[in-house]
This record gives sequence, structure tokens and C-alpha cells, in this order.
Amino acid sequence: MINFKQVDCRLGDQQFCFNLQLPLGQVVAIMGPSGSGKSTLLNLLAGFIQPQTTRSEIFLDQQRLDQLEPAQRPVTSLFQEHNLFAHMTVFNNLALGIRPSLKLTADEIAQVEAALSQVGLTGLGERLPKQLSGGQRQRVALGRALVRRKPLLLLDEPFNALDPALRQEMAALVKSLSQQHQLTVLLVTHEPKDALELAETVVFIHQGKVYWQGPSKDFLQQKDQYIKAYLGQS
Amino acid sequence: MSKGLSSKRWLWFSSISFGLVLLPLVLAVSAFWSYLGEAQWLAYLTDPFTWRVVWFSWWQAFLSTLISVSAALLVARALARRQTFLGRWLLLRCFSVALVVPSIIAVFGIILLHGKYGYFNQLWLILGGQPKSYIYGLTGILLAHVFFNLPLATRILLQRFEAVNAETWRLSSQLGMSSMDLWRHIEWPHIKVVLPQLLALVFALCFTSFAIVMTLGGGPKATTIEVAIFQAIRFDFDIAKAVYLSLLQMFFCGFILWVGLRLGKPIDMFVSLETSAKNMRPDTKARLGMASDILVLMLATLLVLLPLMAVVIAGINKAWVDVLLDLRLWNAFSNSLWVALSSALLSLLMAAGLLLAQRHWYRRHRTASLAVEWMGSVILVVPPLVLATGLFIGLSPHVNVFTINLYIVVLVNALMGLPYMLRVLSVAYLNIASDYQQLCSSLGVQGWYRLKHVEWPILRKPIGLALALVAAMSAGDLGVVALFGSPDIQTLPLLMYQRLGSYQSDAAGVTAVVLLGLCLVIFVVLERLLGGSGD
Repeated sequence: MINFKQVDCRLGDQQFCFNLQLPLGQVVAIMGPSGSGKSTLLNLLAGFIQPQTTRSEIFLDQQRLDQLEPAQRPVTSLFQEHNLFAHMTVFNNLALGIRPSLKLTADEIAQVEAALSQVGLTGLGERLPKQLSGGQRQRVALGRALVRRKPLLLLDEPFNALDPALRQEMAALVKSLSQQHQLTVLLVTHEPKDALELAETVVFIHQGKVYWQGPSKDFLQQKDQYIKAYLGQS
Repeated sequence: MSKGLSSKRWLWFSSISFGLVLLPLVLAVSAFWSYLGEAQWLAYLTDPFTWRVVWFSWWQAFLSTLISVSAALLVARALARRQTFLGRWLLLRCFSVALVVPSIIAVFGIILLHGKYGYFNQLWLILGGQPKSYIYGLTGILLAHVFFNLPLATRILLQRFEAVNAETWRLSSQLGMSSMDLWRHIEWPHIKVVLPQLLALVFALCFTSFAIVMTLGGGPKATTIEVAIFQAIRFDFDIAKAVYLSLLQMFFCGFILWVGLRLGKPIDMFVSLETSAKNMRPDTKARLGMASDILVLMLATLLVLLPLMAVVIAGINKAWVDVLLDLRLWNAFSNSLWVALSSALLSLLMAAGLLLAQRHWYRRHRTASLAVEWMGSVILVVPPLVLATGLFIGLSPHVNVFTINLYIVVLVNALMGLPYMLRVLSVAYLNIASDYQQLCSSLGVQGWYRLKHVEWPILRKPIGLALALVAAMSAGDLGVVALFGSPDIQTLPLLMYQRLGSYQSDAAGVTAVVLLGLCLVIFVVLERLLGGSGD
């Protein structure tokens, strides 16, 4: 279980305080208005920003995460863009996930090749990111997440720059990979469709707090004014 | 199509700019041309003096560039890693000031520190050593060149470090990259695209530097082509030799520019660096790195701060009443102020004309637009002293050049400032076209209203900065003025140079403070007044 206990954080004028429990092995959609704190939640989990007070605690089961360096945390993040190093081949971009020095053993090279084939990029290892489409680039980033073998995958609007067909394809890929590798996926998205098709659970963030949490099929039926306003139903 | 300032009826204005830029050039080159017959080519080519001068020009520029840029890499990286370092503000301020400090002031400060009776030698004496004379010659030239070019190179490099996006830093910290990995995978790929042009820029500045070499070098062992031209005219009265050396210098400068332009990405010089987003890097916590960064930053601060402090301290002496009551000082002061403001204004007019034409032709006539862009860089191929030499030779049969010397100084300084002017203005100006052209047309905002409501609010900041920069640089210029200087018409840098040369150190100290003050005040006032205090 992922457990946020009173995780306080302040960015500029905005105050955030998260309390949240999430089961493992699911896809969770994080939704909410712009600026409500969706990305902040992921950044706290990844260690890119620090909680403000000492009472804040983040756990993965028994393991306390909030005092670890980002590199020591059991997470892989995927951003909307800039996931790849532009001057590096696809293969090396994946290899970074195993060892930043890029010196891999034969066994590790095989792991990279396997990950490439799982994300459907077999044979493209020597390409540079600029020679790939937007969708392919996000697949490379997903491939790196696979070789890193971390149990948590944090996706911050990763499909936003893609057109609808690609989006669907990527969503399906994320779904199948997460089931295959028993990943827990936290997905920040504005698309109710993503929530319905991909996620078992929806977390709705409003004004820096977890406002609602429940099964995704219930989310769209909510009568709450903020949720309805967010979905454009009011 | 366009109804703004770029419309056709404004092109007459551009033609004035073309004339102002090209006429001096044509005059200078044709003056050289008329002397070609007289030059004893073989004699010059076989003269060992020529080759020693050429060798020294390249060698000092090479060493200056190597030291400035490699030190700048260390400083920029340390600044990038210590975003919350307390001394960061002071360092960046010092580095901004270094952009407008006149070279004669820096030289004076360096002499005060490193000269035979300077602070360092006095300290050395206390420690039991013998005073050493080491600054006249290559060492001094390198010190002065690093004083100016380390800050410039650091600013340009720091921008590249800060251009790395936040996601990349996050990614690197998640992947657990070491400082070495960051350098290899992130920083070096960002840096290396600007490195060729940065190296070419610093090299060209050091290669054509005049005042520094004249004051700290100048002996037969430490003379550059620029100084040799000056000496040929002022001391040897050998015009043909000056012409020959000028042509040589133009050839080398053209070559350096050509190499620089062919490689890498253009650099952006004048971006404000003090408000940058805090990025998260994984290598800021190691003790050793922290200690070495802070050491580097402190040394860099001292490099700029100590000479300036030495100058200010030297200015506090008993001679100040006499110097300030001396009419020569105020005469020089008003000349310098006049030169500064006229040069800046003239430079702005030239730049405006060129930009209007460039924008007008941008879509219609690529070659014409490019030619106009090149016109602004003419001074990089024909360095100020070479241009001044040409004007000197070309004009002296017709007029007494010493009576119109300040006008020539203004003209050459305006041309010198033109590349900076264009760099600062062109991005903002051409962006207006691409960002607001359609909006303005559809709303019918045109002519005067467009100038008032769209162009001026957007351009006033870059205009203020560019004018301030060119004015401060012109106020402190000691190059062209030295060539045309006469006892009757003084400027502050020239007065300062003479006092330094005649060992009037107290008077030189006071003059230095007045000159430094003038440059800083001009810069701050123009930048704030025109640029507004805004964001």
C-alpha cells in the first residue's frame, strides 16, 4: 500500500496537504483542476520536492520513502516530454536506466533488447530520439521504466502530446505492461476516458487536498459540485 | 501586407543607415587601395618584426581564450550547482560590471595589484621575498583579458547550463547520476553547441584588443598587429606599413569570423541571469564538490572585485581637490559624455535602419535580408583601429583630422557598438513581427498607435539595455581616440592613459574613479530610464 500521512508542502502561494492510501498493483488515475496539486503529489512521491514539515511521512508498505534520495526510491517517472536525452541513441537511453555509466554486461544488454521488443521498438535501438515519432519516444521511456524494474510507475500526462489513436495505443500498452510486471501505476490525466478504460481507482484532487477517492466507474456519476464542475457537467 | 514600422515608406530611413555603415568602410578601403602600390611587400614579408608581431597576436589570443573559457566553464558550473549560494548575487553583479568597465581602468587596477609596487608584491615583501616585476608583457595581457572575458564567457555558458529543462534534472536524479555522469550526458551536450562560437568570439576580442596590449605590452616582444598599426602611424609615420598591417589584420579577422560562423550555434549574450528557476540537481550535496565550488566562486569574485577595489582605493588620495579643480578633467569629462551619448544614439539609428530593412525583406528577399544582417557585423572584420587608420589615411589629405577627431571617434564607436545593438534588439524586434503581425492587422492597429502601444512597450527594455551598453563602452574607449588624440581634445580614458604613463599615480587614481563612475552612471541611468523598472 502507498501511504501519504499528512504530507505538507508549499509552492509559491499554494499550500498542499495530502492524506492518501492506495492499494498496490492497480492503475490509479489522479484527476483534478489545473494547479490543484496532481503533479505535486507525484513529485513528492518521486522525491523531486520535499515535504515541508517533519510530521509528513510517505510509505510504500513498511518502507519509509520520504527521507530517501530520488535515485533510491522504488519509482520511475514519465513526463509529458523531455524523457529522453536527445543526443543519445534509443539503446543508450534505455541503458541509462540500468547504469548511468552505460557500461552494461552481456546479460544487461539482453535485458535492454527484451524491453525494446516489449514496447514494440525492436531494431530501432540505434536511432536517435529525433528520428522517432512522439509516440515512439514515449515508448522508449516506457522501455526504460521496464529495465529499471521499480514497482511504482508515475505518469504525468504522458499522452497529452499524442493524437487520439496513438493515445489509445499507448494506454493499452501501459495497461498490459502494468499487468505483466505487476506495476502500480499513478496516472495524472485530464481525460475521463483514460480513467474509465485504464484505471480501477480515481483520486480527485481539489485545492491541494485529496477530495474524493473511489472506483473509477463511480467517479463520473458523482453529484458533487466540484467534481461536476471539473467534468463540465454543471 | 504590413502596416507597421516595416512598411515600404520607411525604407528611405534604412538607406541612411546603409550609408552610415558603408561609407566609412568604403573610404577606409579605398584609402588602403591607393597605398597598395607604395607598400614594399617583399620587405614587409621578410621582416622578422612582422612575423614576431603576427605570432604574438595569435599566441596571446590563444592563451587568453584557453584560460578565460576553461575558467568560465568551472565558474559557470559552480554557479549552476550553487543556486542558493549567498555570494551568487555579488558575483553576478561583479560580472555585469565587468562588461562596462573601461579597459584602461582594468589595466590600472591590475597594475595596482600586480605591479612592482603593487599589493601582491608588498605582501610578498612582508613574507620575505623580493619584489618581482611580472605584469608587463604576456602575463599582464593575459590577466587583463581574463578579467574581461571570463565574465563574458561565464554569462554565456551559465545560460546553457540553465537551459537544461527541469524534467532532465529530475530524470537524472531518479537515475542516480553522479556528477561525472551529469557532465557527460547532460551538460557537455548542452555546452558543446555554443563552444565554437564562444571560442571564436573570445578569440576575436583578444586578437583585436588594443588598449590592453598597448598599456601592458608594447615592447618588441609583446606587440600585436593592432598595436603595431598604431605605432606605425604615430611613431614611425610609416603609412604604407600601417596599410600592410591593416590588410593583414582584416584577413585574420575575416578568417576567425568565418570559422566561428561555420561552426556551432549562435550565442545569446545579454539575457538576464539573476532570476532563474531553481533546478534540482542530484550532485549538490557532496561536501567536496561544495567546497570546490565555493572556492571557485570566491576566486572568480576576487578576480573582478580586487582590481576595481584597488582603483577605488587609489582614487582616495590628497590629490583629489587639485584634480577635480583642473579644467582639463572637466573638458575631458564632457567630451567623453558627448562621445558616449552620440555614439549610442548613432548606433541605435544605424541598427534601427538595418532592422527595418531586414524585416521588410525577411520574407520577400532572403539574400537582401541576409546582406543587411551581415552589414551589421562589418566592424568584426574591419576592427575599429583598422577602420580608424583607413579614415585617418583617407581623410588627412582633405581635412585636418585632428579637428574632427571626436566625430570620427563617435562614428567608429557607433559601428563598434552595432553588433551588440543588433544582437540585443533583433530578437525582440523580429518577434514582434511574428507574434503580433496578424493580430495588429486584424485589429487595425497601425502607424503611430502600433508604435506607441505595441512596439515601444516591448522594445523599450532592449533599447535601454543596448543604448546603455554602447554608451558605457564608448565612454571608456581607448583605441580610436589614441590614434586621433591631440593635446587639445581629450577624453577621460586618454587623460587617464597619459597620467598613467607619466607616473602621476594620485591624479591617475582620481581620474580613474571619475571615469569608472561616469561609465557606471551612464549604464545604470540609460538602462533604467529607458528600460523602465518593470519586471
